[in-house]
Amino acid sequence: MGNFNFSIDLPVRSEWANVDLLRTSVQNCFTAIFSDIEGCHSLAMVTGELIENAIKYGDWSGTDEQRFRLRVWGEGRSAHISVENPVHSNDTNADQVMQTIGWMRAFPSSIEAYRAKLLEVASAERDPGDSKLGLVRIAYEGNCMLSAELTRGVLRVQAELTV
Amino acid sequence: MQSLIVGDLKIEALENGVPPAVQLLWKGKSNERHPNEALAPYFREVLATAGTRKLPIELHFEKLEHFNSSTITSIIQLIQDSRARSIKLVLVYDQALKWQKLSFDALRVFAKDDMLELRAA
Repeated sequence: MGNFNFSIDLPVRSEWANVDLLRTSVQNCFTAIFSDIEGCHSLAMVTGELIENAIKYGDWSGTDEQRFRLRVWGEGRSAHISVENPVHSNDTNADQVMQTIGWMRAFPSSIEAYRAKLLEVASAERDPGDSKLGLVRIAYEGNCMLSAELTRGVLRVQAELTV
Repeated sequence: MQSLIVGDLKIEALENGVPPAVQLLWKGKSNERHPNEALAPYFREVLATAGTRKLPIELHFEKLEHFNSSTITSIIQLIQDSRARSIKLVLVYDQALKWQKLSFDALRVFAKDDMLELRAA
């Protein structure tokens, strides 16, 4: 992909059908702009996995509108994808997200972290729904740097890709 | 073998390969929130059929557009279950698609014997 500047910032209803709507929208938008189809697929996959996590683990028990925030922006050869969702004060998912990101950094490469996570999933009990495989996958397949921050009950997970 | 349709995913079952195998052709997108709810019972049926007929299982992903990480978890469980039943499993993917090459290359971590083969098409 060549140099680019763009920004998308959306308040999205927390509904599962929106995962694929947004994943394919991101893919279609960037396919329309850039010729690197595989790079667009990576951006879309990262977007989809982050949104899935927000919907699965966000705190949607409040009476306010149940929305998460999706931002996709880029400058130069860097693309950023950020998803923010509310979390319950007693929820352990945010800690698990940050622990997983720290765990990945202990590996020399993202492929080695991903292989280790695949083996961990294989050795776990049936349906290890909170394995965080998606996070490790986007670091590997998306070639991303991941970061996460918990501020005032909102978890923001951000991926940075060099394209 | 019946085919499976769940959401945007269709798995077409064939039993006429050369060499003979139970072939599952994945098409569309596997993007369900809990794909294992549909895939696990379907895979049990596939394993039973392959076991009875003493056939290997071939999963063809070449026409698949996308799968989420929950689907990868289901595939890992199939790898475990087929090995436990001594049924050979072959995963066929399109190496020209970068996402497929990355996904399936990583699954080679499970190819520790000839019960699992990853085949680039």
